[in-house]
Amino acid sequence: MARLNQMGVADILAMAFMFALLILGAVLMHAYSLRPLQAATDRQLELKCEHIYKALETAWVEPYTVSFLRAAAENLVLDHPTVPGPYLRSVMENALGYLSPPGFEISVALTNDEGALTFHENVGHPSREFVRRGSISVTKAGGENVVVQVVIRLFSFS
Amino acid sequence: MPWPSGSMTILSKWKTSDLGAYMTLTQILKMLVACILVITFILVTASAYRQHRTTSALAELTDATSTIVAHLAVDELAHVDETGDKHSYVLDLDRLENLTFRREIGGENFEFQISLCYQGSENRTFGPAPPENRTNCSLVVACSLWLSDRFQLAKLGVIAWHA
Repeated sequence: MARLNQMGVADILAMAFMFALLILGAVLMHAYSLRPLQAATDRQLELKCEHIYKALETAWVEPYTVSFLRAAAENLVLDHPTVPGPYLRSVMENALGYLSPPGFEISVALTNDEGALTFHENVGHPSREFVRRGSISVTKAGGENVVVQVVIRLFSFS
Repeated sequence: MPWPSGSMTILSKWKTSDLGAYMTLTQILKMLVACILVITFILVTASAYRQHRTTSALAELTDATSTIVAHLAVDELAHVDETGDKHSYVLDLDRLENLTFRREIGGENFEFQISLCYQGSENRTFGPAPPENRTNCSLVVACSLWLSDRFQLAKLGVIAWHA
């Protein structure tokens, strides 16, 4: 080190190190400053996911007077559901395609002790995923209440 | 000030004035590099501060848009049935008549435009158009619409900007 100092290299090394620190600090500062915007965008996507769940929970399947999620839960639990299975799958796929934002895909999964029902499960490899969980209660013919777990996933491919 | 040892034999043959000139030149170069370092530091800090302010303003606008959408869907445009029960996330077109398109959120005023789209219809817009010279934020969410005595799938879009 003393020899380096004698040769005058120490000052140059110190300055080079300071430049390297400066560049590293600049990169970190710029990366950190983008975090609030990324967090706000994530909150918007969480809100979108919540709205998708509520829309499917309240909107009726045309021409019936039962909501998409209730119709799906009935298909999973009841022997004679209000909406026939093949028709429900068709309208549900259309609805998910209509509601999904550009660059995103939506998947709906319903599960209970008797089985599972999934709509639009063949999605690619998403970069991110936002999940909204809920449940629907369906009453069977004998008066027994069955709870069906609902999971809605919003996949991001950007 | 340390001296390069290898240069001493050469420099020892120089005159005193040459030696002084060499020292001055080295000092000037080091001072120049130090100045460049300080100026770069100031520029990088100022740039990062400006970027932070811009992104903070954008994040604030994004959150304000989310707040407006949530208020509209849960309260202001929510369908109220004959019994007086409010259905959150179900929109009622009739409630758009009395809606004001200006909100104060976090001490700042925002204006917004609403667009409503449902299956089998064109996009309908309500409220003032966004100004071209201001930054705006748009958000489209899914919702239900109470129309023709049915709950239909729809999309609610909001474009918000600083008033």
